[in-house]
Amino acid sequence: MFVKKFTKLLFPFAFAAVVFSAGCGGSEKQKNYTLFTNMPDGQYSVIAEQYTQGGKISGYTGDIDNQPFTPPENYSHKRMYYNYMFADAELIVADDFTAEGAEAKFNEFSAKVNDVLKDVQSALSSGFKNSDIWKFNEYVAGAEYEISAITYEVLSLALSVHELTGGYYNPALYYNIQEYGFNGSYDFPESAEQMPDDETLSVYTEIASHFNEITLREENGKYFVKKPDYSVVVDDKTLTLKLDLGGIGKGYAVDKIDRLYDEYGYNYGYFNFGASSMLLKSHPQSGDYTISLVDPRSFKHEGYINIPARNVTLSTSGDNEQYFEINGKRYCHIIDPFTGKPVQNGIMSATVLGGNAGENDALTTAIMCMSKETAIKFIEEKLTDKKVVFTYED
Amino acid sequence: MSLKKIEQTKKDRWFRIFDLIIYGVIIISVAVLFIVMFTTQDKSKLTGVKILLKSETVFEYEFGKEYRKLSDKVEVKEEGVSLTVTVRDGDNFNEVYIDTANKTVRMSEANCRGKHCMYFAPMSDNSDFISCSPHGVKIEPLFRDLDNPIIPFG
Repeated sequence: MFVKKFTKLLFPFAFAAVVFSAGCGGSEKQKNYTLFTNMPDGQYSVIAEQYTQGGKISGYTGDIDNQPFTPPENYSHKRMYYNYMFADAELIVADDFTAEGAEAKFNEFSAKVNDVLKDVQSALSSGFKNSDIWKFNEYVAGAEYEISAITYEVLSLALSVHELTGGYYNPALYYNIQEYGFNGSYDFPESAEQMPDDETLSVYTEIASHFNEITLREENGKYFVKKPDYSVVVDDKTLTLKLDLGGIGKGYAVDKIDRLYDEYGYNYGYFNFGASSMLLKSHPQSGDYTISLVDPRSFKHEGYINIPARNVTLSTSGDNEQYFEINGKRYCHIIDPFTGKPVQNGIMSATVLGGNAGENDALTTAIMCMSKETAIKFIEEKLTDKKVVFTYED
Repeated sequence: MSLKKIEQTKKDRWFRIFDLIIYGVIIISVAVLFIVMFTTQDKSKLTGVKILLKSETVFEYEFGKEYRKLSDKVEVKEEGVSLTVTVRDGDNFNEVYIDTANKTVRMSEANCRGKHCMYFAPMSDNSDFISCSPHGVKIEPLFRDLDNPIIPFG
């Protein structure tokens, strides 16, 4: 009698508990994402449950993994930090620092790294007054002027990746970036009404489409750039093509520092510039480092894939670096060069390993702007010597 | 005080040479200390923190990884993008708030006298620290173990 009454009394609570827990379970269910890669099986491991592998991308014929490794007999680590181009950089070297002259050698090396970063910033930062790119942005359409070797090399690289990607990489979307507040001001639109209008964006996008009309020339060891002869008058202001080479500039600096590691005979360690471009030498114990690529949807910055690698440069781009949300829709800092708007094709992040970091930096930005199908085709046809992985959200 | 003594005091110089030397040394020492402190600080971004209770590490957390609770005196509560770490030592308690998204750490609550630890600026780079002297609680930056080959990237 008592048990029956007790059960009857308990039933509504039990029912409510079941409904409540089902509801909670449903709301906490994690979204599933897909990753696409051309890396051969066994060369990576997916470590996040919510990631499943999409169809394999074929075509990889690279030889990144056949790198020799000899562990050092005696070593300790040295670490240095830098801050250039609005990003932190971490330099790690493992070497026998008890050897005679080792400390002085490292001090000289780390000072040279600082010089490289300073020079690249001085040449390429659009926000750095009197840099080559600041001047480019200030000059009138059609103007030609002398630039540094650094700017010449980076612009040559940018133009070649622009061509390779069929225009998907375009560092001339300066006005669009400003319009959305991705210029470091964090002055993002807060409602749909505050979003830039299509007409304005199309004018800016049209300006950017003239990027490939930049001409470069070298004469007697001097370098020159000519600005495209195209301008538009908006609200009584003459707008000309402007550049932002911050992304590719970090990769370019990483390549220069990679050569410095070789010049100084440092075979162990790494250099990480703003968590967007990196060079790896060997790990002194295990040979390979394990790159744990950060899940672009993880608030805790957890990894989704582990990739063992050494003696390689890599770059990554993602829609989680800078973004704002309006009505549940994410608007990130990477601008589609054809629509002039933040990319929303479903690709959340892209990472490229192999070759040089400057090129990889531009390539990851381009892949972010492609549709899933275009990206797969592009990787299969054009990036056969590089390892590529991108994440996708339906 | 006699009139003669007052006249004598008035005639005396304000500073003797040794006084000036001592003041000079103090000023130079302060200036050197100031310069050294500001030029040698590690201003790189915070990568993790450890909490010490009476010089013993009781909690470690590297951003983007699992935390390590190293004592029964520590309770950890996870909520969205934050971790709240409570350190209890007898009747003493300190509550540390870790913003895992913005990578900042602050002392959010404590029952120490004065509660000065709650007025420390939030830690955001590797030169910062927070200290609660009455309870012997200290929060320090945690540097990545360089022998660990795993590098979070992106």
